[in-house]
Amino acid sequence: MEIKCIVVTPEKVVLEKSAEFVSLPLYDGDYGIAFNHTPVIGRLGAGELRIRNGENTDSYFVSGGFVEVLNNSVTLMTSRAVPVAQITKETAEQAFAEASAKPASTVEEVELRNAALQSARAMLRIVNK
Amino acid sequence: MAKTKTLNKRRQSIRSIRKITRTMELISTACYRGAMDRAMSAMAYTDRLTNMVRNLAGSGAEVSHPLLVEHPETKTVQLLVLSSNRGLCGGYNGGILRRAVRRWNELTGKVESAADQKVENAILDVAGKRGISYFNFRKVKPTETYTQFEDKPAWDEVEMIANKYLEEYLTGKIDRLEIVYTKFFSMSKQAVVHETLLPLSELGSTDDAKTNDADNNINAEYDFLPSADSILKEIVPASFKTKLFKCFLDAAVCEQIARMVAMKAATENADAMIQTLTMAVNRSRQSQITGELTELIGGVEALK
Repeated sequence: MEIKCIVVTPEKVVLEKSAEFVSLPLYDGDYGIAFNHTPVIGRLGAGELRIRNGENTDSYFVSGGFVEVLNNSVTLMTSRAVPVAQITKETAEQAFAEASAKPASTVEEVELRNAALQSARAMLRIVNK
Repeated sequence: MAKTKTLNKRRQSIRSIRKITRTMELISTACYRGAMDRAMSAMAYTDRLTNMVRNLAGSGAEVSHPLLVEHPETKTVQLLVLSSNRGLCGGYNGGILRRAVRRWNELTGKVESAADQKVENAILDVAGKRGISYFNFRKVKPTETYTQFEDKPAWDEVEMIANKYLEEYLTGKIDRLEIVYTKFFSMSKQAVVHETLLPLSELGSTDDAKTNDADNNINAEYDFLPSADSILKEIVPASFKTKLFKCFLDAAVCEQIARMVAMKAATENADAMIQTLTMAVNRSRQSQITGELTELIGGVEALK
């Protein structure tokens, strides 16, 4: 009754392990995946990826990308996946400050800024938990 | 006497040069392994992305994205040249720069025969110190120069550049993005290529992306969150970024291979030279000894 969870970034395969339950951040909120989930392709947002296996829960911070669920394997394609333990309050606050300082004079710039802000807010949420 | 000494000196200096080239060969072998590993792990991502695009296409989603559409008029062309930061890698930079200059001359209309290729405005970006100094020498001023890419191009850095190009293309500042770099085909085959990255010709797929259809033949009915179209819209920029990233990785791998080959040849040449010089040194020493002996014998004879 286990599912396989794979996280790949363009640089490397970050993680490949089996789990009982995976919770991942979709574009509009957290999404839970357990055994025998229906096949899904989804867009990821920024937030915490939790992989539970028995007593252990691994947490990663992912921002943006895609997820594919098929045959009890969950594949996340994201540009960033960092273990939550590596995110400190300072880095999160710094990311937030950088995102806030971005210019927002055109539509494209506003979109870029919003994306950065969203990712920084998700980071802050995790460290403030 | 003097001849032996100078010959010996030369042999010594060639020996130390050989030591250097041999070390550089070993270093580049190690770097090549690292670069190759990175290129391989990057493939995992590209393959998955390609698979996903195929699944999406199978679900009947229409792909339409500004990045896939050619601009009606091509006025501004951006040329990106990936050269290396360091020399001593044989014909690596020479090949790239020859190709890049040819394309640049076509774009700026300096070559008569390619008048139709001429565009109103051509922008040049160069990565690598070698390329930068070469274009400086030719009095061509690159708009942007990058020197931060060594043998390990980082995703974050490439993404930054990719975002810049994406933005410029979407806002109409550039109408086409072309790249000149060395493509990796196999350990024994690398070639300088000139490709058009924007507008994107095809989605996600790179030429050597493996098709692991085996586990995809199930024809699963996917749920799309939020919808196939919106996911495709997100995939297009991601696929461009991975493509650009792959170019950088390929360039890094090829640079190391080129350096490995060049340094191997240099070491072999040094070996051959040491051999001939050793022979010459021995000859001259021998003849010197013979000369001294005859002098000695002659002196003894004269005293009798």
